[in-house]
Amino acid sequence: MLKILGRATSSNVQKVVWLCDELNIPYDRTDIGGPFGGNDKPEYLSLNPNGIVPTIDDDGFILWESNAIIRYLAEKHGKGTDFWPEDLQARASESRWMDWALSILAARHVPVFVGLIRTAEADRDYDKIAAARDLWSKANKVLETWLADHEFLSGDTFGLGDIPASPFTYRWFNIDIEREDFPHMKRWHEAICARPAFKKHIIDVGLS
Amino acid sequence: MLQLKGRINSSNVMKALWVLEEIGLDYEREDVGGAFGKNHEAPYLNLNPNGRIPTIIDGDLVLWESNSVVRYLAATHSAGTLWPTDPAARARCDMWMDWQLTELVHGMVPVFHGLIRKTPEERDMDAIAAARDDWAGKWRILDDHLSRNTYIGGDTFTMADIPIGPLAYRWYELPIEREDFTHLHRWYDLICTRPAFQKHCMTGLS
Repeated sequence: MLKILGRATSSNVQKVVWLCDELNIPYDRTDIGGPFGGNDKPEYLSLNPNGIVPTIDDDGFILWESNAIIRYLAEKHGKGTDFWPEDLQARASESRWMDWALSILAARHVPVFVGLIRTAEADRDYDKIAAARDLWSKANKVLETWLADHEFLSGDTFGLGDIPASPFTYRWFNIDIEREDFPHMKRWHEAICARPAFKKHIIDVGLS
Repeated sequence: MLQLKGRINSSNVMKALWVLEEIGLDYEREDVGGAFGKNHEAPYLNLNPNGRIPTIIDGDLVLWESNSVVRYLAATHSAGTLWPTDPAARARCDMWMDWQLTELVHGMVPVFHGLIRKTPEERDMDAIAAARDDWAGKWRILDDHLSRNTYIGGDTFTMADIPIGPLAYRWYELPIEREDFTHLHRWYDLICTRPAFQKHCMTGLS
């Protein structure tokens, strides 16, 4: 059975377990990282030299980088579905939003999320958090622009391209911060929230 | 004909130029970004709302995010060569391409911008030194991987080598301290023999 190594509160682990439920892939998950530790141990580093989560072991095939993992699982288990379109242009368009979630959205949300959720109030740098929030908002404006013309990041239907950005969007709407009115982004996020697998792995886990 | 928008001294544009040259595809390029501007004006933002480069236009597809551009061009023009058809082999390539975005690039940015695009008065040498150390730690991970693999994706040159190549050029050309990463250096020497890399990526630092 597919083994997933990584704690349930990591947005990168959440992408993987969410997709597994969307595609009915059975898996066995082990808590690693954060309060559970283990990610700096030699046995984990021999699988993933970066010491971060998640890592998968698929019958001996070791893979890390959460977006690479969901691409791999979508191709293996989701061929012919909206999760792995045959059309290479459609796949490229989804791939762009997956990369964008790594290159832009992840970096911009981190100082806000870590600052307000994982840092004690006395230790918070509110100026830094406010500046990071403004940058994060600019990234969300890019989502808003796209979603004014498209139902989903993946296009007309929900797909792999929607997954990496969504846990960050959940944080945007649930952290106690100022939020601009992005109606298309909100409409898209509500469609994501209606998916049972997203509710189970992201909403019910909450912010921690 | 395929259109590519972006200035040639951007490491992200270099990825697109290099893959286009490897597959031998004709294209038209327009200078956008940096000293050329245009990337924050409406016509460009309509194509790419991030205002970043590169962007390609291929028929009905307008595509940005450089690694997705590499992946797409490799899939459409080099399946079985740059783009492995075996899903596990391709997943290993995707993994290192993502790693370039999530890990390797972060140390590079403060070092490169600090030393090349800022004046000596603007430089924060402590920040540059800290970023260099972080960057070296990432190269150490790749050096270990390359002790067991000829290329980043395995035995042959693939799309996985492309996002990392322009950053390796900067690592070896910047005036910084460098650890002796023998496997990384062996791989870099191999990459440097490729005419397409020489033409588009070994073009100085600016």
